[in-house]
Formats: sequence, C-alpha cells, structure tokens
Amino acid sequence: MADLIVKDLKLRLGDNEILKGVSVSVTPGQVVALLGPSGSGKTTLLRAVAGLEVPFAGSISIGDNVFFDAARKIDLAAEKRGLGLVFQSYALWPHRTVFDNVGYGLKLRNRPAAEIKERVEKTLGQIGLGHLAERFPHQLSGGQQQRVAIARALVYEPPVILLDEPLSNLDAKLREEARAWLRTLIVTLGLSAIHVTHDQVEAMAIADKIVLLNAGTIAQEGPPTALYNDPQSLFTAEFMGSNNRLDGTLVDVSGGKATMEVFGEKITGLARTTAAKGSKVVGISRLERVHCSSTPGPNRLKMELKAPMYLGERWELVFTREHLTVRAYANAPLQPGEHYVEFPQDALWVF
Amino acid sequence: MRNLLSATVIAAALSLAGPAFAQAPAGYPADYGKIVEAAKKEGKLVIYSTTDAVSANPLVKDFEALYPGIKVEYSDLNSTELYNRFIAEAASNNGTADLLWSSAMDLQVKLVNDGQGLAYPSPEIKALPKWAVWKDSAYGTTYEPTAIVYNKRLVPEADVPKDHTALLKLLEAKPDVYKGKVTAYDPERSGVGFLFCNEDIKNFPAAWDLFKAMGKTGAKFYTSAGAMMERVASGEHTIAYGIFGSYALARSRKDPNVGIVLPSDYTMVTSRVAFISKHAKSPNAAKLFLDYMLSKRGQEVVAKADLYTLRDDIEGEATLKAVTKVIGDRARPVPIDQTLLETLDQTKRLAFLSKWQKAKKGE
Amino acid sequence: MPIVVYRFLVLGITTLAVAMPLSLVFYQSFLTAPFFDPSAKASFAAYSFVFSDDDFWQAFWTTIAIASGMAAIAVPLGALLAFLMVRTDVPGKKYLEPLLLIPIFVSAVVIAFGYVVAIGPVGIFSTLAKEVLGFVPWNLYSLWSLIIIAGLTHVPHVYLYSAAALRGLSTDLEEAARVSGANPFQVAINVSLPMIMPAILFAGVLVFFLGFELFGLPLVLGDPQDVLVLATYLYKLTNKLGVPSYQLMAVVVVVIIGVTAPLVFMQRLLLRQAQRYISVRGKGQKTQPLRLRSWRWFAFGVIVLWLVVTVVVPLFGITLRSFVVTWGEGVKLRDVLTLDHYRELMDYPNVIRGIINTFGIGVIGGALAVACYTAIALAVHRWNSGWTRLVDYIVMVPRAMPGLIAGLALLWVFLFVPFLSPLKSTMGSIWLAYTIVWLAYGMRLVSGTLLQVGPELEEAGRVSGASDLQVKRDITIPLIKYGMLASWLLIFLIFVREYSTGIYLLGPGTEVIGSLLVSLWGTGAVDLVSALSVVNVVMIGAGLAVAIRLGVRLHG
Repeated sequence: MADLIVKDLKLRLGDNEILKGVSVSVTPGQVVALLGPSGSGKTTLLRAVAGLEVPFAGSISIGDNVFFDAARKIDLAAEKRGLGLVFQSYALWPHRTVFDNVGYGLKLRNRPAAEIKERVEKTLGQIGLGHLAERFPHQLSGGQQQRVAIARALVYEPPVILLDEPLSNLDAKLREEARAWLRTLIVTLGLSAIHVTHDQVEAMAIADKIVLLNAGTIAQEGPPTALYNDPQSLFTAEFMGSNNRLDGTLVDVSGGKATMEVFGEKITGLARTTAAKGSKVVGISRLERVHCSSTPGPNRLKMELKAPMYLGERWELVFTREHLTVRAYANAPLQPGEHYVEFPQDALWVF
Repeated sequence: MRNLLSATVIAAALSLAGPAFAQAPAGYPADYGKIVEAAKKEGKLVIYSTTDAVSANPLVKDFEALYPGIKVEYSDLNSTELYNRFIAEAASNNGTADLLWSSAMDLQVKLVNDGQGLAYPSPEIKALPKWAVWKDSAYGTTYEPTAIVYNKRLVPEADVPKDHTALLKLLEAKPDVYKGKVTAYDPERSGVGFLFCNEDIKNFPAAWDLFKAMGKTGAKFYTSAGAMMERVASGEHTIAYGIFGSYALARSRKDPNVGIVLPSDYTMVTSRVAFISKHAKSPNAAKLFLDYMLSKRGQEVVAKADLYTLRDDIEGEATLKAVTKVIGDRARPVPIDQTLLETLDQTKRLAFLSKWQKAKKGE
Repeated sequence: MPIVVYRFLVLGITTLAVAMPLSLVFYQSFLTAPFFDPSAKASFAAYSFVFSDDDFWQAFWTTIAIASGMAAIAVPLGALLAFLMVRTDVPGKKYLEPLLLIPIFVSAVVIAFGYVVAIGPVGIFSTLAKEVLGFVPWNLYSLWSLIIIAGLTHVPHVYLYSAAALRGLSTDLEEAARVSGANPFQVAINVSLPMIMPAILFAGVLVFFLGFELFGLPLVLGDPQDVLVLATYLYKLTNKLGVPSYQLMAVVVVVIIGVTAPLVFMQRLLLRQAQRYISVRGKGQKTQPLRLRSWRWFAFGVIVLWLVVTVVVPLFGITLRSFVVTWGEGVKLRDVLTLDHYRELMDYPNVIRGIINTFGIGVIGGALAVACYTAIALAVHRWNSGWTRLVDYIVMVPRAMPGLIAGLALLWVFLFVPFLSPLKSTMGSIWLAYTIVWLAYGMRLVSGTLLQVGPELEEAGRVSGASDLQVKRDITIPLIKYGMLASWLLIFLIFVREYSTGIYLLGPGTEVIGSLLVSLWGTGAVDLVSALSVVNVVMIGAGLAVAIRLGVRLHG
C-alpha cells in the first residue's frame, strides 16, 4: 500500500475558510493524530479525506488512486474511496443489530454470506464483542458502542481508518482504558489511521505523528516527543502539556539562549524568538519542570505560595506575585509563605 | 331591458299610489296592507333554496326594491342539504328558513305533508295552473321543460333526436357511434334522476327499452347537471338526456355549440316548489315573497333569469308560452300532490332500482 | 393557576369539542329516525339495512382498495422525495419545496376538474395525443386512474412527515453508510428510510385514513364511472330511501371510525417503536447534503415529472377552462377565449363575500386555530401521565369523520347546544368546525415544533424559579415562535382549501370558496367554478409565496 497524501487542501464552508492549505501524509502502518482546538479544522480535514466535504483546492490520493484533485476536477464519491470512518457519535444504525452494522460494508461489497459471517465474527472477536452480535446498539454500553463503531470501520480492511474523536463520548476513566486498548489494537493489526482529537494526551499516546492544526493551517507536525519537548511556536508550546506563562522583556539573545527580565530579575531560557532587545516576550515552562526552593538563585523568582492542592499522587502548588500566577508540582506540601520558584534553563522557551 | 323597464313602471306606479303599501295591489284582499305592515316589522326574510344565488339574485333585489325595509337572507343549498338542515333546525326551535324553495318536488311535498308547511292561500292562485298548488301550502313557481341537450359540432342534424322514440331508435341504429356518448341523471344516486325516470315510465310506454338501450351503449350517469353539460359541451359526451331547461338555456346562451330539443312526443315539466315554514319567524315577509314570486312582476323576473315562468301572461324565451309554442299540448307537468310521495315509498324505490340496475347492464 | 388545573381544563374542552359531534353520530346510528324526531326509537335497523346493502359492501371494498392503493403509491414516493429534498443536493430545492406541497393545499375538486379538462377523454392533452398517436393512451375514468391520481396527490402528506423526521435524524448515520461504501440510493434504502420508518408508517396510516374520507376526487372522477366509495355512498344512500336518513349516514360514519380507530392504535405503537431509533447526536455542526453527482439531474427530473403530472396538468386544465367559453373535441381554443367568467364573478355578492370570508378564515381563523392547537399541545407537553394517551386518541378521531358529516354533526351541535346556538350562521361556526376537523393535523404541526425544544431549557427555567406555566409562557412559547408561524401558514393554506366541512354550515355571511365550489358545481355553473377555482389557487399561491419568503428564515 502506498502513502495517503493530502496536498495543500483548502476548504470553505459558507464564507468561512476552514482549511487554508493543509498537507498531511500517512505512511502504511502509521497513526497520525490531527490535533487542535475546536474550530481548527481538524474534523473538516478528516471529513474531506473521507469524501464528506468538498475542498476547493488541493488533492488527496493514495498512490495512483486519486480521491480528490481540484485541478483535475476529480472528486471520488465517499463510497468509492473504501476508507473506514469512526464517528464521534459512533453513528451506529439503531435499526440494525451489531452484526448487521458491522457486516453492512461487506454486504455492499457483495461478499458471500458465509464470508461476511466469518469476517464479522472475526472482527467482533478482535474487539472482544463476539458475544453481542445479535444485540441492538441501544442495548450496549457506551464503550461497547464505540468498539462496534471501530469494528464497522475495520471489517472491510480499509487502507486507512479515520477516527473522529472516537473517545470523546466516553467518561474519563473509560477513556483511558479505551485509549490503551485502541493503541494496542492499532499496533496489533498494523493499521494506518488518522485520528482526530482535541486531547493532546490522547494524541501523544496513540499517534506516531501529530499534526497540530491552528485555524486551518498546520502549526507543527512531528513525533509526539518533538511536539512536546521542542515546540517551534508559542501556540504549540502552549497547546501541548500544562504550562506556566511568564511575561517579560527581552534583554539578551546569544548562543541559542534568550534572557528576559521579569520583576527585575533575569530569567534565561531556550531562544525561540527573533525579536529585538527590549520587546515584550513570553516564557513558557511545563508545570512538571518547575521546582521550588527556599533560597534565591539563578532563574529563580521570589513568589508567595497561595494554596497547596492535593491531587492524590502529588501536590499542586499555586504561587502568585502581583498579576503572575505559577503552578508547580511537589511530592509534599510546603508551608504557605515566600518561596523561590526556579525555571530551569533547558525547560523554558522564550517566544 | 324590457323587463327592467316594466319593473320601473310598476315601481313608479306604486310610488304614485300614495303612501307605500297602504293599499293592496289590484285583485288582492283589502286587508293585504296589514300583511305588508307586519312584514315590515319583521324586517327580515330567510330563504333556503336550491336555485343558485346567482340566478335568484334579480328576484331578491327586485323584491327588496318593492318592499324596502325587508332584508332577504338567501342561502343556496343542494336539495339534500336543504332538507337535512331544515328538519334539524325546525326540531331545534332555534330558527330556520321562513320560505323553502326547492327543485326536489318530492321532498318539498313530503315536508308539507309532514306538517312543516304553513297554509296560506295566495291571492295569485287564480293565475296559476291547477297542478301547481297543493293544500294552499306548496306552490309551483316555475315551468321547466326537461330537455335533451346535444353538441351541435358533433351530432349531425339528422341524428338529433326530436322525441323519445327517436332517441331510442338512434341508440339502436348506431350503438357504435354513440357508445359512451349519451349521458343522463343517475336515478340511483340522484333524486332528480329518480323523479325523471319515474315520469318517463308513466308517459312513455317504451321507457324501459330506452333505459336498456342506454345501458347497452354504455351511457354515463351523473349526479349533477353541471357535470353533464360541461361534458356535452366538450364532446366527451354528445347527447344529454333529461336536463332542466333552465340550465340548458343558460348554457346555450354562452356556448352556441349547445343545442336544445324539447321532445315533441311529450316534454316533462318540473317546477320549483315553494312553501312557507310553519316555524317561520317572519311568516308575513314569507307571504309577501311568495305572492311576489307568483305575481306577474315576479314571474317576469323569473323568466328573465331563464327559470321559466308558469304564468301564461308573460312573453319571452323562458316562459310557459314559449314552451307551449314548441310542443303544444304535449307538455306533461309533474303535478304537485300526494303522487309525489309514492316516489318516496321505500319498497317501490328499491324495486325500481333493482330493475334499473339490470337495465343498465342491458338486460 | 396551577398547571394541573390548566391541563385538565384544556383536556376537558378538547374532549368536549370532539366528543359532542361524535357521540351524536353514535347515538344517531342506533335510532330509527333523526334523533330530534319524537318518533325515533332505539334499534339496530340502520345497521342491518346498511350491512345487507350490496352497494355498501361494494363501496366499502372499493374504499379499501383505493386507500391501500393510495398508500402503496404515496408512501414510497413521498419517503423518497423527502430523502432527496432533505438529504441530497438536488438542484433548485428552494423553489421545489413549496411547489411540492401544492397538492395538499389545492381542493381535490379543483384538481379533479382540472384533470377532466386536461386529460379527460376529450381533454386538451388527450386530443393532442390522439392527433399524434392516433389514440389516447390513458383512461382518466378507471378505478386505476383514480387510485393513481389519489396516490400521487397524497405524496406530499408522506413527504411532510418523512421530511420532518429526516431533519431530526443525525446525518452521521448516513455518512457512516456512505463511507462504508453505500451509494446515495443504498443510503436511502438501507439507512435513512428504515430509520424514519415510524414516521413513514405514521404517514402511511394517515394516507390510508384520508383514503377513507376521499370525497372530491371520486365525486368528479368517479361520477361517470359509478365508482362508489364510502363518502359518495352517503349520497347514494340518501337517494335509495328518497329522503335523507341520518341514521344510515351515521352507521356509515361509525363503520369508518371502526376501521380507522384501530389505525390510531397502530400509530401509537409505531411511535413507541420509534424509541429504539433515538440516537446519539453528533455535535451540531452544519452538515453537507449527500452529493448525488451524476444522479442529481435524474432525481430532479423525477421530481419535476411528478410535479407536472400532479400539479401542472390539473392546474393548467382548470386555468384554461376559466378563460374559455367551451372546450373539447373540434374546438379551436383561440376562438373561444374570454374573460367573462371573471367579470361574472364580480356580479355576485355571495361569491365576493365567499372570497373575503375565505381569506378571513385562513388568516384570522388560522391564527386562532394555531393558538388553540398550541394550548392543547402545551397542556400535554412534558406531562408524564396516561392522560396524554387519551389526548392522542381524541385528536385523531375527527380525522376519521368525512368532512361533510363532521359539518353536519357540528350543525346539530350548534342547533341543540343552547350556549352555542348564537354562533350558528356565523363564521364562528365555520371556524370551530374547521378547527376540530383539522385538529390532528394542527396538533402534529405544533407538537412537532415543541419536540425540538430541549428539555434542559425548560428545566433551567424551573430551577431559576419559574412556575410550570411561566416556563411555558416565557421560555417554551418564545422558542417555538417560528414553528407557530409556520404552522399558521400551513393551517391558512388548509383552511383556504377546505370544501366539504362547510357545506352544511353554508349560509349568507358564511360562504367560503370551497363550499361555494361544490354548490356551484351542482348547479352547472362550471364557468364560475373554474374562475373561482383559479381565484382560490391564486390565494393559495400567495400563501405559498409568503411561506417561501419566511421559509428561508425558518430554516436558516
């Protein structure tokens, strides 16, 4: 199988330009997560790949099989693309049993009844629902419905399976289990997939590659670790993980380091800016990388501890100084009062 | 125009006669003025009628002009609705028509026979044919010949049936040409059709042969004159047997393709029957209207509206005189009396209908 | 006022309004004479007469055949039409939609007569076909033609219900099928239509109902062929005995209700089935219509063909007739053109009054009727009680009575119920009759709108401290404002079209076009009938035009 290639896709809904030139590629066996806040165009991009939305520019293809090409006026109907799509709502047909839901795609491909039976049973077995084939969707739990929806998209072995926030309708605990289960399933079956989500943890857990979208353009793409540990833009840095944000003035840039001034103190971090000295800059640091100390030192700010919060496996500490609020984790609660908060140089990006 | 003129003359004459209504018209009882005064007090007259408001409008307008202060509320209904409404309203004592005027002669006679009518000897009785007055309650008001209507474009002159025998012979001689082309009222579904068939049986010895011939040629039977004439005019059918002369005349004035024949062996004549309701709230106004409708002035308006007057002292197309001129003494008015009740006898009716159904199949 | 009081008050009034005419009919069917006649005795004689009458059985089976045939034609076509219009990118949807509804809003008498002029044995198109082909390839006056025409003209009823259900259906389900490999047609057959099956069946049962009270079409088209249905059998019955016999008519109505009542029960079951079909809705994003691609114009062609056959042909016929003196075999239309029929209309005060009254009953009466329907719907809305089932049954019952009989029964009510008698012979009587006869239709419109109000919006009102009635007044009614407006328009169109209900209530001051048409048709004034029909159609057209203008806003 060849790569799925989306090239420079542009799409408008009404007067809104939802996609402003997006290119994505999926290699066989790769799981790509489309990540972004709501309105970023990630679901629209997925639907365009599925053939449910019509872009006005760009192309979509798998090898020689061109799904869409605005220039050549090719627009293959959704049903002819042979992709699998799992809806956020699952979109299980309530008037069909689980078996009929899953088997429908095979039936449309005119497979003999015996083969349909065998393949549906196999797929249902893979997702662990073999015993529920004769149930109707409304007789299943949310988690089971979600698995059926996935089975339905897998059964005819599509080259790429498209998942539209498949876990968002599950409650928190179930979602974590389903995430692990889904990852295992994808790896076991060696699937290629595009997975749309607004949850960065989910994206990082499941995907080989994350495409982060912002307002119809790609903010950054790459493996999860790259996006998390090496954000190239303020948007990416802020979107991934939980962050502290420091507003300050740039005083010096040299050797990949940038120094900013906050409350008169100098704080140095990794330079991600080309701004001139004296301009306003933003420092971003992940919560888990911020330490707390009782003594002053480089890259430390004197702040006041307001409220320690117990999270179970650790404590979250909230420090304030004037309008600035900084959060950090600790293994034990500290006494309220003045402390020094350190932002390690290699864990602070200055934009 | 002529009628309008005469109406104006009469109106002028009346106004010259001094204080309105103080004196009775010539030939009317001396105390007629009392009725007029009482009617003026009533002020309103409700009429239920099968004659469409359009045709009756001149009559109503002229009456209102003659007796200012009496407002006429005129409702046109089909004969079944008229009957249903009247008996229900009469029983409820909640007010109903003062005057009922319907072409369903049998139902009108039944209502009078059931005691729903108010006996009132009209001063115009002398001018009316004997058959048109029953029990001083039910009055015939028109003289409508039952015509054969044909499509002049499509029926050659030689084929036009001049009498009942000719129609029978035509159907027997040219069954293919006239297959499905003849139409008549359906006696099974229409009271008028039933009445017509009954009268034919009385007057025409070969009536059943005629019905059979119609059945054999696939004649179509309708429930309304409008449907029949429309289809004769269009050529869907070419000959309609048994159409009220008034409808036929009105239609032929608009459409020169509609031809009318009054059968020369005998022409059945029906009459719209009027009576005053026993439950009338305005019995005096009803009396005035009845008298007016039967008077020369009223009948002239009737003739002008193509409803055919039954007085012999009026000239014009839709008049007894004109009909007599065409068919002489072979007019057969349906008398307004108990014999009409026989047609309502259930056993006789059902017996006729089963015989009719056979005839319709050509048996 | 506590909500319970309001609910039972509304329930009581509704029950009374429906039960009064109905119980009179039932009572009447067991008597030997009109119920107000002192000589009336209790008896089953009327039943034994009707049941031993061959004509009754012939009419009964013909009616069953017509009603089933109608449903068999209207249901699949209507459902498919709804799918095409709601879910696909058929061209010109905005303009097609109002046109589709025309057959509902044009009086059946008008349509039937239009067909006679257009494709009757010597109709305009028939003579044309005869010239070209040498024969007329259709026969307007067969039972089959009646069934086909009745079926085609009832497609919009199914369309309305199916379209409403489809709009409420999550598009994800269809897209899922699309992605699984189904083409639009397969999507319709395998997913969309099965999903809205309860609504389709509901509409099917409704069409079957309407088949039972079919009156205008058989009156005109069945007349020459002697095709007898139950509604026209009522006429024949009158004539059989010479005098109109209330008790026999009542028996026929009881039979009709006997057949239709189980259907109401069936509809309830169908609605319960619908529970299974409630699905998780995706987020409320505006979804794209399914693209038909090469089928687009084919689908368009099918819709237009249906429109031509059911709307254009008959309306062309009636319009043409209103401008000619005569027509038919051997007539050159050029020679017979005239405007006289319209001039003539102006001469008749009752016709003018009829036009004004019709407009009034549509606009003012329609608004009042919608207010009543809303009052009832609100009383039942979110009422978790067995009483709602009673209301469901009650509102369906008037539908089971032919309009003509409902009108007669209401005349009785106006005559014999003392406090109502002042209303008799006023437009008030007509209004009440129309409102009761169209209760089921109107309720369906309003409660459909109510269903779209999310319960949490009302619950939020309750939590904020509003009483049940205040919530209805301040939250629910403002939310369904546009739905009520749409219902008003639809009721306007229905009231303007109605013809059979008003016949017995017709009098000076209460003339309406529909009843005048039937009455004029009987007297042979076809010229006036055709001109008045065109006036009626123009009024309906104007109403539809307003619907289009507002419709855009309603959907937007």
